[in-house]
Amino acid sequence: MSDRSPIEAATGPLAKLARPATFVALVLLGISFVVPFVWQVLISLSDRSEVDRLTETGFPSRISLDAYVRVFDQVPFAKYFFNSFFVAGWVTLLQVITCSMAAYAFSRIQWPGRDKVFLLYLGTLMVPGVVLMVPNFVVILGLGMFDDYTGLIIPAAFSAYGTFLLRQFMLTIPSSLDEAAAIDGAGHWRIFTQVILPLARPGLIVLAIFAFLFNYNSFFWPLILTQSENLRVLPVGLLQFNTTYGSDVPAIMAAALMAMIPPIILFLLLQKYLVKGIQLGAVKG
Amino acid sequence: MIGSGRKRLLIALAFLLPNLIGFLLFTAGPVVFSLYMSLTDWQLTKHNQYSTESVKFIGFENYARLLWGDESHLFWDYFYNTVFLMIAIPVSIAGSLLLAVWINSKATPQKPKSKMKWGMIGLACSVAACLGAWVLASPSAAQDVMSTRSGMTDLTEYQVQAMQRNGLVLFVGIVGAVITAGLFVGQMFFRAAFYLPTLLAGVAMFLLWKTLYRPRGGLINSVLDPILGGIERVVVNTPAVIWYGTGILLAFATLAFIGRSMMAGLSRYKAKETGGFALFGRAFILATVGISALGMSLVLVQLPEKSLLPSGYESFDQATILAIGDEMKGVEGVDAAEVDLIVNALGEGASRADTLSALLSDPVLALNRASVLEAVGQRSERVRRGLTAGHETERGGLQPPDWLLSSRWAKPALVIMGIWLAIGGGNMLLYLAGLSNIPQSLYEAAAIDGATGWQRFINVTWPQLAPTTFFIVIMSTIGGLQGGFEQALVMTEGKADTIVLTYYLYNLAFTDDFQLGLASAVAWVMFAMIFAMTAFNFRFGSRLTNE
Amino acid sequence: MAQVTLRDVKKVYDGKVVAVRDVNLTIGDGEFLVLVGPSGCGKSTTLRMIAGLEAITEGTISIGDRVVNDVHPKDRDIAMVFQNYALYPHMSVEKNMAFGLQLRRLPREEIKRRVTETAGLLGIGELLNRRPKQLSGGQRQRVALGRAIVRDASVFLFDEPLSNLDAKLRVTTRTEIKKLHKRLRTTTVYVTHDQEEAMTLGDRIVVMSAGRGVGVIEQVDTPLNVYRYPKNRFVGAFLGRTPMNFFDGRLVEAEGEVWFVAGPEDAPSIRLAMLPKHTEALRGRVGAEVTLGLRPSSLSEHPMGKETAAHSTIRSQVQVVEPLGKNIDVSCELPDGSPMLARIDARHDFPTSGEVKFYVDMEHVHLFEPGEFGASLLHPEGAPQNETATLASGA
Repeated sequence: MSDRSPIEAATGPLAKLARPATFVALVLLGISFVVPFVWQVLISLSDRSEVDRLTETGFPSRISLDAYVRVFDQVPFAKYFFNSFFVAGWVTLLQVITCSMAAYAFSRIQWPGRDKVFLLYLGTLMVPGVVLMVPNFVVILGLGMFDDYTGLIIPAAFSAYGTFLLRQFMLTIPSSLDEAAAIDGAGHWRIFTQVILPLARPGLIVLAIFAFLFNYNSFFWPLILTQSENLRVLPVGLLQFNTTYGSDVPAIMAAALMAMIPPIILFLLLQKYLVKGIQLGAVKG
Repeated sequence: MIGSGRKRLLIALAFLLPNLIGFLLFTAGPVVFSLYMSLTDWQLTKHNQYSTESVKFIGFENYARLLWGDESHLFWDYFYNTVFLMIAIPVSIAGSLLLAVWINSKATPQKPKSKMKWGMIGLACSVAACLGAWVLASPSAAQDVMSTRSGMTDLTEYQVQAMQRNGLVLFVGIVGAVITAGLFVGQMFFRAAFYLPTLLAGVAMFLLWKTLYRPRGGLINSVLDPILGGIERVVVNTPAVIWYGTGILLAFATLAFIGRSMMAGLSRYKAKETGGFALFGRAFILATVGISALGMSLVLVQLPEKSLLPSGYESFDQATILAIGDEMKGVEGVDAAEVDLIVNALGEGASRADTLSALLSDPVLALNRASVLEAVGQRSERVRRGLTAGHETERGGLQPPDWLLSSRWAKPALVIMGIWLAIGGGNMLLYLAGLSNIPQSLYEAAAIDGATGWQRFINVTWPQLAPTTFFIVIMSTIGGLQGGFEQALVMTEGKADTIVLTYYLYNLAFTDDFQLGLASAVAWVMFAMIFAMTAFNFRFGSRLTNE
Repeated sequence: MAQVTLRDVKKVYDGKVVAVRDVNLTIGDGEFLVLVGPSGCGKSTTLRMIAGLEAITEGTISIGDRVVNDVHPKDRDIAMVFQNYALYPHMSVEKNMAFGLQLRRLPREEIKRRVTETAGLLGIGELLNRRPKQLSGGQRQRVALGRAIVRDASVFLFDEPLSNLDAKLRVTTRTEIKKLHKRLRTTTVYVTHDQEEAMTLGDRIVVMSAGRGVGVIEQVDTPLNVYRYPKNRFVGAFLGRTPMNFFDGRLVEAEGEVWFVAGPEDAPSIRLAMLPKHTEALRGRVGAEVTLGLRPSSLSEHPMGKETAAHSTIRSQVQVVEPLGKNIDVSCELPDGSPMLARIDARHDFPTSGEVKFYVDMEHVHLFEPGEFGASLLHPEGAPQNETATLASGA
């Protein structure tokens, strides 16, 4: 007797193929998703002249890391890396701080006008980012933050979405904990730091991951807000590199590959949180 | 609650302040500011600290210019481009659903088999080590590299074989690794693998795809080339009638099928068996199937013509084209002006295939096909013998296009990439979550009621996922209308007709004249469009999910 | 209508975990059979095997004279009512009921007729156009019932259908189910963990347990028989509104009779003389450790049966008295500290403390081997054949 329920066992031969067929489909798709990256690695390791015929030979005749060296020689790639991490890191930190504080105010304190202001926040979420592009540029220009780290960090340090996410998360923490702490003599700040924040940790992690990834990949804002080369972040730097040295395909691929590694690492380590975060954001949406 | 009302307000403000300042300064304020700007003629090149002119309030003039005025031609073109790229959306949503269903099915283990996971990792590492050893031991190319016109270096046959062997080993390794991971790590692996593109979507990824789309050395064309070549060989060696016939038959069959299905659907609707939603869904699916099938038949009908240019693909220079054109004007019934137009459009030089198809696009010339073929064939012969200026290049017929440079194929290229990027992303994860929330007892009740697998999908899975789908569609529409900028900038620099609305905005505001006012107007028009689409989706969708 | 037969049925998961085994049942045509037991005893698994939702590892299941082990659920001519109703959320009540019939391609008028008729039978006629989420729990349950009835199947399967309802609704729906069965006479297999439901609904009940590591059947018989003649301690403890009292002790022989004695030799807390008709069976077990099972309702302030006072009384200290209307529940403590619960006829001035003497109905005491599944010494085979107590005989 097999272990398959009669529902599965009583299906025709065509349907019996369903399971292995699905697996084959998944494998084929998996391969098609993996191959471009492998391709990228191969090109980045080949010689410039071999790029176009790599499809015929299937493998470079010689492997070398020359392309990688060229990347660092021709542009201040390390600086780009540093900039990306620096900016993304600061943005993440600031976002987590300001959004959690704001979320606390929206969820834990009853104050007049609270709901109206929150509605305002929500309203701006509906506004597409397009509308903000031009005015923000002017504002940042006006504040003197153009072509400066502050221009990249400060505007991004605030996020209505992040506030929204954390507020929803905090709402799931029972208020009886606040009340018990208050009776024990704690003021709001203490409740925030010692009761709410530790319990909201998963939400904070999710926000941090999202903020970091989003900012790391952010292209448009750095594009219009920075000019000097030593302020370039990876996406802009890559584009610039391609414009100037576009014919050096292995080097381009090497640079792109290096830029892709941090998100991959982040993802592999924190997959769980990322997945949960997407679902959290959607359910409340 | 602690403290008095007033005190609470102060404390709340203290918590809120940094966030609030940012909000007002960079979100709420700018929105209003933007609206104002859209009503002015602000240009940074005209109104800056060095100029004396002041910003003028011009009301809706910007909007007028965009929607039906000077810029409208560009604007609506770019709108079309944006919408075209949005084809990727429904396809990728369907794809995400499909992937989620596949991953969720028992085809692959739900949880990694714990002992096996470590075994698998070990296995992968050892395989990688072997590969590495083999590769390092492979013969190296000659130091001096001589390139011919097509880039081939001077390698011995042995070396080429060694490289191909390495490539094969690598490929086998990949396949093996994927299969092993699929069998032992299961769901988690596929979920992660499919999510990678979304995760990495950015300039780096677009640069990779730019390489993939390279006409000669790119991965995509090298896979397409042999496939197209095979099709071409088959078509050329079979009578054209078969293809015309199949194409026409397919078209008729499709129409008949659609007709019958719609009739059945309508009668069911009238008998109150199914609701409006089902009818609409049927119409939608039929439309999609119909368009694809009709498109397919169109391709079939054109195949003979397109492939009928085997070996020896030449190109003509301008003089030759003019000569052909003059000869064509002598054909009975031909409009000389039309021929002139065609000849001018072909420009300074064109391939034989393009010349032929351009000429045949004229209705009269199409009727005189034989004479056209004769004229072109003669010239082609002369080119081949070097008697007439022209180039003899490689194989003709069905060739994979130069994706990113061809105005015909650039947008489809972006659409394909867009689908690849989005298919395994957030939407798939949302669907996976949705699927796991469906109670098993619903499926069991359906099985007892006698529903087949497909019927179970339609009656249990799809309705249960309706809220998720609703959300996804809305979010995707909002994002889709604003997207495409990064891709276009990195991959085509806006050429080949790939400029989308956001790109247009960027050009207006941040290059050339820095026309901030006009650009803001563009943004607000887009906002209105997004709003309208969202409202439509909302109204339509919430009625659907509650039906 | 059809007979359902299970022969040596066994279910094993993943080749290792045995969920249930040695299931042998013959369910008569038109019978209402209840599978009852604590969670994990395999009752739901057995039901699902009958339905075809689980594969049968060993043994055969037949519906009518057809072995249905590998037959798809839709071809077994069964209908099922799930614990959480499993109504299609996006379909109207009418569509929910019609769905199975539509899939079987019944003519439209026939479907309409059946649905209207069943809706009328269950009193949900006005709800036909509503969606499940607009209905109350009780209404949803009726729709689930309707969906099953409309199919006109040979066998009805119920999987704990009343667990999600509140107590009052449970009782009324229970009666409705019983009325329906009386009217439709369809063979029914009903699973529940509530012994009261089992007792009131079943023509016969199957008591199952999981205590020995795997799900098995402990006893199959009419409710009254199982109540009166439990085959082992588990069954005795499981059935009955109030828990049975258990006392560990031993059998001794004295004055020509067999006695049950609990507590120390010199000052026993219980000393009861077994009835002469039981003496034969027990003589061989004199000296053994046994457990006495005593239902609270078998205790009284007045002598029961024809026995004399001295041999069938228990003295105890009153702890708590709980008036219940017609009865009083008295929680007492025996001299050796063991607790005892007695359910006696109410009277006004029952003492709330102090010593009290209870008479024991020796006709209805139980003696078991020690251990949770100790076999009954007096009725190891359950009800005596000639004394099968049914409602018809008015016993």
